[in-house]
Amino acid sequence: MSSTSSNQMGQLVADKHVRYILMAEKKKESFESVVMDHLRMNGAYWGLTTLDLLDKLGTVSEDEVVSWIMTCQHESGGFAGNVGHDPHILYTLSAVQILALFDKINILDVGKVSSYVAGLQNKDGSFSGDMWGEIDTRFSYIAICCLSILKTLDKINVEKAVDYIVSCKNLDGGFGCTPGAESHAGQIFCCVGALALTGSLHRVDKDLLGWWLCERQGKSGGLNGRPEKLPDVCYSWWVLSSLIMIDRVHWIDKEKLVKFILDCQDLDNGGISDRPDDAVDIFHTYFGVAGLSLLEYPGVKAIDPAYALPVDVVNRIIFTK
Amino acid sequence: MEQGSSSEEDCFGLLNQFHHVLQSDPLIDEVGFIHPSQFTLLDKEDGLSNQNKPLPYNGTSRNFWNQDHKLGISTDILIQLCKDAKHVFLAALEEYKSHGNACNESQIMNIESEVMKHSQAVLLLSSDFGTAWNARKLILSKTDQLSAFTEELRLSGLILSNSPKSEPTWSHRRWIIKMISRRFSTPQEIITKESKLVESIGERSKMNYRAWYHRCWLVSYMAIGQVLHELNKSKRWAALHVTDSSCFHYRRRLMLRILESVNVKGSNAYDKTEAHKIWMEELDWNKELVERYVGREALWLHRRFLSLNWIMYFACNHSSETGLSIITNEEVAIFIDNEIHLLESSMIVPDTKFEDFQAQALYAAVYMLWLPKNIPELWRMLEEKLGTEKLKCVLSTIAQERPLFLQHLVNV
Repeated sequence: MSSTSSNQMGQLVADKHVRYILMAEKKKESFESVVMDHLRMNGAYWGLTTLDLLDKLGTVSEDEVVSWIMTCQHESGGFAGNVGHDPHILYTLSAVQILALFDKINILDVGKVSSYVAGLQNKDGSFSGDMWGEIDTRFSYIAICCLSILKTLDKINVEKAVDYIVSCKNLDGGFGCTPGAESHAGQIFCCVGALALTGSLHRVDKDLLGWWLCERQGKSGGLNGRPEKLPDVCYSWWVLSSLIMIDRVHWIDKEKLVKFILDCQDLDNGGISDRPDDAVDIFHTYFGVAGLSLLEYPGVKAIDPAYALPVDVVNRIIFTK
Repeated sequence: MEQGSSSEEDCFGLLNQFHHVLQSDPLIDEVGFIHPSQFTLLDKEDGLSNQNKPLPYNGTSRNFWNQDHKLGISTDILIQLCKDAKHVFLAALEEYKSHGNACNESQIMNIESEVMKHSQAVLLLSSDFGTAWNARKLILSKTDQLSAFTEELRLSGLILSNSPKSEPTWSHRRWIIKMISRRFSTPQEIITKESKLVESIGERSKMNYRAWYHRCWLVSYMAIGQVLHELNKSKRWAALHVTDSSCFHYRRRLMLRILESVNVKGSNAYDKTEAHKIWMEELDWNKELVERYVGREALWLHRRFLSLNWIMYFACNHSSETGLSIITNEEVAIFIDNEIHLLESSMIVPDTKFEDFQAQALYAAVYMLWLPKNIPELWRMLEEKLGTEKLKCVLSTIAQERPLFLQHLVNV
């Protein structure tokens, strides 16, 4: 990206995003925040990872966050989305990722968390999200990512897990949530991410999948998640990280995508929305900043496309014992 | 536990009012959050059609609106109502989990009915509240009455009327159906009803991945006859919603299921000639749609699937039987000729002001190159049939829209 064009397209208002995230945690009087209460653990992961990517994780009280996380853990080892709720693999990964951000994995009973995750693997290699049995390739990714961070992948049958994911591949090269389900960029990220973490990317038809993924870019530069859908900032993460993992990111126009993400900022109050001029939220703020990180935007720390954690955090995990 | 600002009495007042509305009309089939200003408007509309009917509330209550089994909840009370419902539900759940074993049967039934009542209120307001769905599953798994499960289908249908994309709600539906089929049998009429439900939700909530996934999931419960019926039935809907790629994916799922049946023996077996006929019909129908609705990505992607499968499954099988390669296969040659005709007519852009024509040209050009990407032997045939000039034209059409991607194609 040339410096002149990046000047024309405006800048990332990083300080305002930091303030927006810190404020969002305090504002609890909107209907949206009341109905999001049950997935506070995901919200915490989105907010805190964004802060870390902007090098501002130090502005939050680590002790407060960590002790709240631990009150969400159940006897089974799994984590709930908030205090008093049931555990689910979705929140378990977020909890582990947040602890990794703070370099606090050591406070976990790793064996217990790993057993919870491993216990959700089914005979065919797939994973359920919780004891009630819904199966989805999202849960396969979550299990594999979680156990990779905890270095306990040996607790599951990796070969079967990989075979199941591959069985969800469609003729268009993409992946869905179960065999025969429609390709969706979010599910593709999960499948490609899980295959990357298990060293199985050779099972992906990279050119065919890259073809489908690069067709997600529209005239505005933004990416959509499925054919005929409007572009949305969150796919800057799902599509882009997948393209990077399969080494086909040069097939899309990165400069136009940077501009699209920057156009979705609320320049006054901070935060990023799904599309220009829409209302901002923490989910899209995270995916916007993470997308810019993948696009090597100056001032944003590098993020790992498979772990969805800052590269320095991943390095710390890999290189500690 | 966090408490709302209202006094205990107010809290129960609002929540009790909500429960009262729900109990007084067990046939509510649609729910929505509405701004108080809409209440008057709805009353007026309703007054025109039901002049003799008294209003259920005396006008002082502007919290709920309920007529003709439609329920409106005022957006003014949502936050408070939701907080209160959650508070009461979580308290009931805690009581259920901690005292369940120490109580006698009637006490347990009492607590259970409290949990059911309050989880229903919570879910009508906050459909993704997984713990409330789980509590219902826990209680329902102890029952052996079919009616409890069908009632649960009704409730989750009601919630979907307001939150058509709620993944936990769809997931709960699948859990109920699995329970029914495990404990009773897989009633075909449930599958048919589910299929209809998805279609009607798809009507109001466009390109709803979760809804269409649910319909795809049902396919594994269908016998071949029902698969054919569904294929037939979803055709009209698809033709009216040509941008809805999910509906076309549903058709692909059904068609692949038919191919599976060609390879089996027994009651679910299907004749290959008939399958071939279905494929040709779908290709012809898709061509009609492509020509009528210019520049629709979903239609061209559907064509990729149809053509690839037709060549690989129907034409190539002939080839292997006769020992001929694809390139000398006459059927394939005729097929490609027809596709080139379609390409040529699609690449005429009569008016550059309308993006649809340019989109049509792009989709056609990419489609033509996508086929040999999957069947490399087609490259030579395509090059011969297209000739250098037309091939250049195809490539430059792609270059205009996706220059970076084209570099890769040319390198190949």
